[in-house]
Amino acid sequence: MIDKNNPFSLLDKNILVTGAASGIGRTTCIVLSKLGARLILVDKNQDGLTSTLMQCESESIPLQIDLTDAPSIKDKIINAVANFGKLNGFVHIAGKSYIAPLKSVTEEKCLEIYSLNSYAAIELAKAFTNRNVYVGEKGSIVFISSVYGLVGSAANVGYAMSKSALHGITKSLSIELAGKGIRVNCVAPGFVMTNMLDKASGMFDENYAETINRLHPLGIGEPEDVAYSIAYLLSDAAKWVTGTILNVDGGFTAQ
Amino acid sequence: MENFNINIAEILEVDDVNMNDQLSSFRCWDSLTILSIIALAGETYNVTLSAAEINDSKTIAGLKEMILSKMK
Repeated sequence: MIDKNNPFSLLDKNILVTGAASGIGRTTCIVLSKLGARLILVDKNQDGLTSTLMQCESESIPLQIDLTDAPSIKDKIINAVANFGKLNGFVHIAGKSYIAPLKSVTEEKCLEIYSLNSYAAIELAKAFTNRNVYVGEKGSIVFISSVYGLVGSAANVGYAMSKSALHGITKSLSIELAGKGIRVNCVAPGFVMTNMLDKASGMFDENYAETINRLHPLGIGEPEDVAYSIAYLLSDAAKWVTGTILNVDGGFTAQ
Repeated sequence: MENFNINIAEILEVDDVNMNDQLSSFRCWDSLTILSIIALAGETYNVTLSAAEINDSKTIAGLKEMILSKMK
């Protein structure tokens, strides 16, 4: 039973989550639903959305959106919210990795990554602040960046560009939206055991997993480790927290 | 495999390559070069390669054969 007076409770909060079809996004949806949040699950992958939906414990709906199609985002969210109810917050988790050394980096691929990882965050914020979408008080926006938005790594320039951009977006929007009662924060995770990491591992040699492990004094994370930090930032327990980049990285950036 | 030799020479930072050249003999041969070959294979030929497969292919000819076999 969720205690409504617990400041960490998400009871009666309507939250939109992007990237809901897999990985950290799916786990976040499950965690938020257990804390009482009603959810709009956003992803391009309909099958993945259906699977996540079945694992959520609260009233939730799927919403298929291609977040790289920026002009379509706002209308789709406004339409969904008209039936679902106005939102208290959203989390932008959808993202792609882009491992490529400088000489292989292309403008086309960089813009594709930027469009999903970074610019979609701005379009989502525009949609969220619409008077027909935002509930009007105690709003919370959470973006998911990466330790590679904070520290350097070879063959990562395109991804780092997209994730460090989220830090600037977080800071700027936290100031711009404070007057509307909206907090804007960002979680910067280290390596988390997901299919995305599995896929990247295949590109490297057998020492890769050991190398990655060494970067994290507390070891590689679980999706839940990130999901719990998101839940905190969405909750009223974080009512005095805005403009923050919260490192959830097993000590990666402490070194 | 259009432009394979040109593309691979660009990655290996030489003007041209011979089919018998050993991959590990190039001055720029390192993990980043291997990643560039993985990116080339994926984006140009729609083939997924691992670092181990590239190392195992040993020569330019071996690499080309490896990519061709995965394109079939």
